[in-house]
Amino acid sequence: MLTARRRVRTRRGTACAATAVACSLLLASCGGSDGGSADSRTLRLWHYEAPNSAMGAAWTEAIKEFEARHPGVRVKFEEKSFDQIQKTAPMVLNSSDAPDLMEYNKGNATAGLLSRQGLLTDLSAEVTERGWDKLLSPGVQTTSRYDANGVMGSGKWYGVPNYAEYTMVYFNKDLFAKYGLAEPKTSDALVAAMDTFVDKGITPLANSGAEYPAQQYVYQLALSKADRPWVDAYELYQGRTDFHDAAWTYAAKTFADWVKKGYLGKNAVSAKAEDAGVSFLQGKAPILFSGSWWYGRFQDEATFDWGTTLWPGSTLSPGSGGNLWVVPESSGNKELAYDFIDITLSKKIQNLLGNKGGVPVAADAAALTDPKSKELITQFNTLSGRDGLAFYPDWPVPGFYDVLVSETQKLLTGSVRPDDYLDALQEAYDKGVPKT
Amino acid sequence: MTATTAARARRVTGGRHRAVHPRRARDSYALFLLPGALAFLAVVVVPFLMNAGVSLTEWHGVGSPEWTGLANYRALLDDTEFRESFRHSLFMVVAMAALPTALGLVLAAALFDHVGKHFGSRTAAVLRACFYLPQVLPVAVAGIVWSWILAPDDGSLNEFLRVVGLGSWRQDWLGDPDLALYSVMGVMVWVQLGFPLVVFMAGLERVDPQLYEAAELDGAGWWRRFVHITLPQIRPEIYVVLTWCTIAALKVFGAVYVLTKGGPGGATNVPSYFSFTTFFEKTQVGYGAAVSTVLTVIILALSLVGLRLQTRAEDAEEGPRP
Repeated sequence: MLTARRRVRTRRGTACAATAVACSLLLASCGGSDGGSADSRTLRLWHYEAPNSAMGAAWTEAIKEFEARHPGVRVKFEEKSFDQIQKTAPMVLNSSDAPDLMEYNKGNATAGLLSRQGLLTDLSAEVTERGWDKLLSPGVQTTSRYDANGVMGSGKWYGVPNYAEYTMVYFNKDLFAKYGLAEPKTSDALVAAMDTFVDKGITPLANSGAEYPAQQYVYQLALSKADRPWVDAYELYQGRTDFHDAAWTYAAKTFADWVKKGYLGKNAVSAKAEDAGVSFLQGKAPILFSGSWWYGRFQDEATFDWGTTLWPGSTLSPGSGGNLWVVPESSGNKELAYDFIDITLSKKIQNLLGNKGGVPVAADAAALTDPKSKELITQFNTLSGRDGLAFYPDWPVPGFYDVLVSETQKLLTGSVRPDDYLDALQEAYDKGVPKT
Repeated sequence: MTATTAARARRVTGGRHRAVHPRRARDSYALFLLPGALAFLAVVVVPFLMNAGVSLTEWHGVGSPEWTGLANYRALLDDTEFRESFRHSLFMVVAMAALPTALGLVLAAALFDHVGKHFGSRTAAVLRACFYLPQVLPVAVAGIVWSWILAPDDGSLNEFLRVVGLGSWRQDWLGDPDLALYSVMGVMVWVQLGFPLVVFMAGLERVDPQLYEAAELDGAGWWRRFVHITLPQIRPEIYVVLTWCTIAALKVFGAVYVLTKGGPGGATNVPSYFSFTTFFEKTQVGYGAAVSTVLTVIILALSLVGLRLQTRAEDAEEGPRP
């Protein structure tokens, strides 16, 4: 009997042990593997710049510099994708797995939202003490500061950009020369050039309906009829945004008109941004309106002579400070993180960034040797100097990027009228604007 | 007599013992189910209940959720984008369940009856593997390859049409809002076809060949044999395939994400992609959770219906129990 009971007990004991093991395995599988416990000899750093991009090269050099200046401290760098950080940042920063320093997208719906939730460190004191505010122009600073509602442009510093970006007209000089066209310095010259290309059976504008390029054409057209208060109303909610105003109406109608005239190909509806860049690189499309993020790649890969110009006839263009270095509130090594940011703003790293095809924010002009890089930075200084950085169309409200993609695709296919397009934008925008 | 009685008694006692032991054995075996049940509880039931809880709030994913009751569900009723996404789901059910099941049946019967008999079972097996190949490919890889094939300018399909003199049929397969959903459906038929085919061919293996022989002797042609023998005999497999594929169609995500991202202009948006963008792009976590909850409930209901039909079919096949 005793033996039988013992056997029963043993069986029950085994079952309980199995259950306990199963539970512990389950719990282990739910938990993170590499916790974010603070280790004063390790700086955990995440960024998403490709190693061969200007920023990637500059940050790699900054890591070397940091380790040289901090003997015994190791930088544990983890390369993430933009999407990975964009979609998981709130959850990661709310957990114990947060890094000490992270590159993050700027804007109300991203850095603004996280700052409002108390997940980012207020860097204001550090910015003043280390003099970072003296290095960054007011236009670039806009995306670093967020108020209590997470709206950019004022309030505390929650991030520091080390580079800037802006959009420009890339044009294929060889193709322009072939058809006897001059550099498009005015909007009339741009339209005349596009007419010539259409006559020759060439779709002049490289475009992508499935991603950001198409909406940036529309936004640029609106900006060509807008001014700073218009941008502030749209991006910073300093006034009412009416999508049926003169600027937006002109943009939607002109875009639809350009589709009809063949300046923009309907075939680009399902194209990705990469397709637009590649069609310019392959010499298929003679003009691409897009950002400085293409610049370094075109320098490396274009097999023809190309040039750039700011959008003719417009003082404003999409652009801003680059992505931000943010310090998660839960970081255990904030001082090390500040030191790293400081190094990325040093002349050495900024000059490297500039010579690699990036837009530095604190470079030494004399140290920039590459003529193309000089052209890029000169143009940025022109735009920034006239307070022309107008941010991006998808920033104002969360999820607006998808709305813009979807609605602009409809405009490209001609399945909606410009008025309906603007109605749809108005509805989504009004729904997303924070109620104060 | 005594010995016989004793033996009988032992048998009876033994019988009683055996009658008791299965219950004990069941109790003991039940313990082995416990880890699985706990895992199910931890990774399915609890997250589902948490998701349902979140769906009753307004929440951005961080900070404190704000209780809003059924507001998200009421908003869903008025959300045309959500309704459209479910309408597209029905198209996906056609592409991923109805068409592959129908085509799979015909192909399985053709491979089994004709190819297997005339060209050998090895040829039939190779063809079956070819049809199954898309199931093995990661959907991201298949999606990228198909986006090249369906590209508007230099896509293989348009190039092929041009080469064979059908240049006027060239289309922007994924960019035309009137065509995009059908293009995605076409890709999904290609992806799904192998699964029913393999299941049906396995099902055909267990059909008594004498039934076919008898039918043939009676003069039944291929089609009549297919309708009157093949279909009724593999009805359980048909239910399994239909249930499985319908569930897959309702939760399809990867292909839409890679091929069209729900575009152009929302023409290929489906509930799971809609939920994804609501969660991560719009950071409307409460609303996204409501979409997921509705989707889960629908899938669960359909699964139960499918299982019920399958059980009925199996019961009918086994005949009445004594």
